[in-house]
Amino acid sequence: MTDQPVDVESGGENVAGEAPAEEPEAVTDDAVVHDDDVELERTIGLVGGLAIGIGTMIGAGIFVFPGLAAANAGLAATLSFAIGGLIALLVALPTSELATAMPRSGGGYYFISRGMGTAYGAIVGLGLWLGLMFASAFYLVGLGHYASAVFAELNVALPFSPVTGVGLLFGVALTALSIGGTENTAKIQNAVVGILLVVLTAFLSYGVLDAVGVFGGGTVPEQFFSRGYFPVLTTAALVFTSYLGFAQVATVAGEIKQPGRNLPLAMVGSVLIVTVFYVVTIFVATSAFGAERLGEFGETAMVEVARDFLGLPGAVAILGAGLLATFSSANASILSASRAVYALSRDALLPRKASEVNLRYGTPHVALLAAGGPILVLVATGRVELLAEVASFLHLIMYGLMCVALIVLRRRDPEWYAPSYQVPGYPVVPALGGLASFGLIVFMQPASIGIGIVVMLASYLWYRYYAGDVTLKGDI
Amino acid sequence: MTDRPSILVPLRVLEGESVPEGVPELLADAHVILLGYHVIPEQTAPGQARMQFEDRAMERLDEYEEMFEEAGATVERRLVFTHNGQKTIDRMIAEHDCLAVLVPNATGPVEDVLVPVRGAVGVDRLARVVASVFGPMDADVTLYHVADEDTTDDDIQTLLGGMTDRLVELGMDPSTIETRIDRDQGPLGAIVDMADSFDTVVMGESDPSLTTFVFGMPADQVAERFLGPVFVVQREPAPDDADE
Repeated sequence: MTDQPVDVESGGENVAGEAPAEEPEAVTDDAVVHDDDVELERTIGLVGGLAIGIGTMIGAGIFVFPGLAAANAGLAATLSFAIGGLIALLVALPTSELATAMPRSGGGYYFISRGMGTAYGAIVGLGLWLGLMFASAFYLVGLGHYASAVFAELNVALPFSPVTGVGLLFGVALTALSIGGTENTAKIQNAVVGILLVVLTAFLSYGVLDAVGVFGGGTVPEQFFSRGYFPVLTTAALVFTSYLGFAQVATVAGEIKQPGRNLPLAMVGSVLIVTVFYVVTIFVATSAFGAERLGEFGETAMVEVARDFLGLPGAVAILGAGLLATFSSANASILSASRAVYALSRDALLPRKASEVNLRYGTPHVALLAAGGPILVLVATGRVELLAEVASFLHLIMYGLMCVALIVLRRRDPEWYAPSYQVPGYPVVPALGGLASFGLIVFMQPASIGIGIVVMLASYLWYRYYAGDVTLKGDI
Repeated sequence: MTDRPSILVPLRVLEGESVPEGVPELLADAHVILLGYHVIPEQTAPGQARMQFEDRAMERLDEYEEMFEEAGATVERRLVFTHNGQKTIDRMIAEHDCLAVLVPNATGPVEDVLVPVRGAVGVDRLARVVASVFGPMDADVTLYHVADEDTTDDDIQTLLGGMTDRLVELGMDPSTIETRIDRDQGPLGAIVDMADSFDTVVMGESDPSLTTFVFGMPADQVAERFLGPVFVVQREPAPDDADE
């Protein structure tokens, strides 16, 4: 893929009279080229891409969910995480193909709007924006739990629970930080992910050795399906929030160097890496305490696991890692949400004003506020499981539709669709990925499904009202 | 046309960097690659900045392009929105096969050119830049070498003599070429001190090493401390530039 032409015609205008921004002329390994020799440099390498994927995902699966999952599914929560990983992989493969065919900003929204038309695109795009807000709020509440665990550790008795307060505080801080334009956020993100992986690898290696009895501890033998089979699937639906990060790699697809090679590697690689970490974490955690007690510890169960293995230093290390991980996940989600707003505004599905860049800092302050503001409301609810499930719901709709879009594009085979990476096992893999994504939704709580459907309906009505005349579909 | 050297002139076009006085005249006989670039923070998608700033940047580039063309240069131009200015500059150097990058600072009419020559490596490219840019304007060129203890005078004479011959071969008047040698000084400080009495400096890029990693390239340091324009002559591109 050296110089790939882009031949998607967009047209029409929204109620404000804005038309979609014109499509670029070509995409190369190093830049997106518009006419008149205007180029957008690609600057994120493979490591950066992996860091976005892993950094977004690892905060939730390891530091928030183990206790909750064990309470729901017992030891079989291990299987729930494995199911989640498998579904993520089934979706990551088709997403890779779409991303190499259309390495542009906006990720899933872009693929679906070009492959299936504006209506689907609007539902997914607005859903992605809101879904990322739910995800950020979920991470921030998780961060709040870790912060309150720190207070507990220091024996500072507070007259109120600091969870929501800390979550709100960090929500405000993150939004302000993103607008204020910190330099080198990507380098910091890479370093944070590196540190987390080292800490976790050390901790989990010790845990596994202990669990198999090397240090004489041994495991309490326990029934695997202690809660029955059904909770395994509902838990898989709950913890799927831990697998949303790979799609965030696709939202910055326009900025990835050598997209034909790096996009598939970053997406599939980050899913495989976090799946292994999750499964091992749950295995270690449940074997340390048994699912019953682990569930009682709630969101910060991993701190107790670390204390059990390594005493106070272990607890402190995991507390620190948990704060870092939830913080970096929340940050990555806010940034992706802002990218989603940009992609929508570029295509005239949101006012052009929404992607305006601040003259002083060069940052998209409207888009960041549009992401950061509603997050605070969501954090204030403090409902970890609900936030997680709605985020997953909205992403799963996108995942399912991406698989459908891939099948549609392959069947029509338009001239401009020339992915440099092709999904193995077509059509079985994308079909399974689509079915599994939609299927997992069934196992969510009714409240989450309800909110998700309301969001989708609202998105559709917004599209009909605001941008009913906009056409984005590629010529197929 | 074909033997005009390609010289890259990078300008942060939206941050008030413009073409300083004297620079178009300086490059009258060059093929100018005019790169307008805008570095944006990582929170911002490059396309987002483009939607807002393209028109303004284009207007300025139009103006600059005209200035260079009026002075006699041939011009190609690019506008790039990037998170990483250095990567963009490096890519432009490779894509346009640029002999040198100009660090644009204001200058009057150029009469004296300082050319620090470090070693035999890259001398040919250095000579091509000097001869094609300054040959037609009859400027005085001083080849300058700061020797270390182990180097004999003969070695230096061979080096600078070879360089002089090459310049004459490329059409320069031998009477405009001087040589000068200093010893027992730090090369960097010596070059910066010496540069004060010259209008412009043409020097080669160093190989990346630990010192350059810590302190930056000597050429960049000279450019930072010397107030006139500096031509940084690029290394020969590696035959198969391995991707990371």
